[in-house]
Amino acid sequence: MQIIISNSSKEPIYGQIYAQIKKRILTGELQEGQSLPSMRQLAKDLEISVITTKRAYEELEKNGFIYSIVGKGSFVAEQNLEMMKERKMKAIEETLSMAIQNGKEMGLSLTELKEMLTLLYTEGE
Amino acid sequence: MFNLIRKDIVLQKSTLLILLPALLVYLLLNTSSIWVGIVFSVVIIMNAFANDEKTSIHMLLNSLPYTRKEIVSSKYIGAFIFMSIVVCIIFIGNLLIHQEITAWKDILFMVSLVMVAISLFFPFSYKFKSQYMFIASVVFFAIYLVVVNFFIPNLNDIMREFVQVLLTVQTAQLYLFIALAVLTLYACSWLLSIRIYERKVF
Amino acid sequence: MENVIELQHVHKSFDGFQLKDFSMTVKKGFVTGFIGGNGVGKSTTIKLIMNLLQPDSGTVSLFGLNYKDHEKEIKQRIGFVFDENIFYENVTLVEMKRIIKPSYCNWDDNLFNYYVQTFELPLTKKIKTFSKGMMMKASLTIALSHHAELIIMDEPTSGLDPIFRRELLDILHDLMQDGEKTIFFSTHITTDLERIADYITFIHNGEHIFTKEFYRIEEDYAVVKGGMELLDADTEREFIAIRKSAHGFVALTDQKARIEAIFGDMVLMEKPTLEDIMFHTKKGAEQYV
Repeated sequence: MQIIISNSSKEPIYGQIYAQIKKRILTGELQEGQSLPSMRQLAKDLEISVITTKRAYEELEKNGFIYSIVGKGSFVAEQNLEMMKERKMKAIEETLSMAIQNGKEMGLSLTELKEMLTLLYTEGE
Repeated sequence: MFNLIRKDIVLQKSTLLILLPALLVYLLLNTSSIWVGIVFSVVIIMNAFANDEKTSIHMLLNSLPYTRKEIVSSKYIGAFIFMSIVVCIIFIGNLLIHQEITAWKDILFMVSLVMVAISLFFPFSYKFKSQYMFIASVVFFAIYLVVVNFFIPNLNDIMREFVQVLLTVQTAQLYLFIALAVLTLYACSWLLSIRIYERKVF
Repeated sequence: MENVIELQHVHKSFDGFQLKDFSMTVKKGFVTGFIGGNGVGKSTTIKLIMNLLQPDSGTVSLFGLNYKDHEKEIKQRIGFVFDENIFYENVTLVEMKRIIKPSYCNWDDNLFNYYVQTFELPLTKKIKTFSKGMMMKASLTIALSHHAELIIMDEPTSGLDPIFRRELLDILHDLMQDGEKTIFFSTHITTDLERIADYITFIHNGEHIFTKEFYRIEEDYAVVKGGMELLDADTEREFIAIRKSAHGFVALTDQKARIEAIFGDMVLMEKPTLEDIMFHTKKGAEQYV
């Protein structure tokens, strides 16, 4: 597994490790059940402290990307795409309702809001 | 703790290999075996002591799994062993070279004086450093000279006579008393050294 | 998490120097780097941990045991590496090994030979002819050959060339693989810490400033740069220390998020190095006396 970290990046090192492993899991490069290198081995290979890799693994575990078995190591968790979609939908709903709230405060109508949304959506394409 | 004593013997290996044959030479020359024995014992014991005197060596010994009590005790027991080696060599040397058995009184006298000397040297050296011992000896010698010259001109003669008297006294009780006194002094010095060493800062 | 070293409310005073109500812990299975300037109490703390000094008050415990009752047991489990020669000078490394070996129940000759080979140490040369780097390797070899659970090192990298420093860090990484060993070391060379240290313990003027996970330092601390017009009596109080010049100010904060909230884009925030933190903390302590 390739991981490239930069010491001069603004992003903390554990964040870089987290992002790269997460990306590999989401793209399917790392398959469900596949084992990850141990925290201590990874720390040695990357010449960084154990606590940094530990933090990265803890974050990955917290967000459901990997799971750990004491004495055996860490493995890629089953990725429930349906659930991830649901979570994303919920986040979109929340941001939209905040936009609606703001719009109502300014007295914008639904049509005006829709127009704005269409404009932004097409602009982004 | 046995390891600490063994360490002293290992480190002294070369010194012993030079000094012990030299001891035999002195015996051949018919010098007083008592005084030779005392000088050799004290030199060997203090040499072992001086080997360990650097701060860095104190740090080494204290970082190894020994207590300070053991470090001090190893020196006192080691001193006894070194002295015994010297006594044995004198005894055997006299037997082989002069075909005579060293008088037990001579041995007792020698052992007692060495033990008294060590009892004074060790706590002093733990408190200060053995280098200061030289200064202390010079001061002591100066006082001695002053006393001899101004107050008791025949001090040397008195001491010589006293030693002679001691060596000729027949009562076993007196020897027992001396032996006990020396042992007590040695034990007190031992305890004092432990106390000093336990408070020492490196 | 288990603490291997624990100092609690330790006081120790000498002429002109004291450790004040000093408490700290070192966690099992991790590397803790011990930093601070000269004469701020680093050596004193290490000596207290090694029982070369006894505290005036407070407690020092290792592996949960105290020195008073368990001195030998504790020392069996520790390997010390010093920055100066602590061996007898007129002996060879083999003779030194023979002297030290019987002291430890867990001495491992294979391990000793392995490190002697790895470090390319001469076995039959007198120790006094060793260079500073070789001396340190010899010290490390002895410390690692009895399966110590805790390795304590006083300035281990100070006399070493950069290449061996990197190799040393590799060896330390190897030691840490089983998660059972703990390393505590003091250093001036803060770049070494970034490669190995899990926790940083910072001491200044006899006081324990912090023990933090390495990444937490980046999260909490920041070097802040901005124009002088931003500073006034109130905002100055937000910083640990401020260096002012005609071209603006450079300051250190340990509350990065708060400074971000106060100044927003008006200031430039940078990731601090450990040297920045040490330097500014020292200046700060002088400024606010």
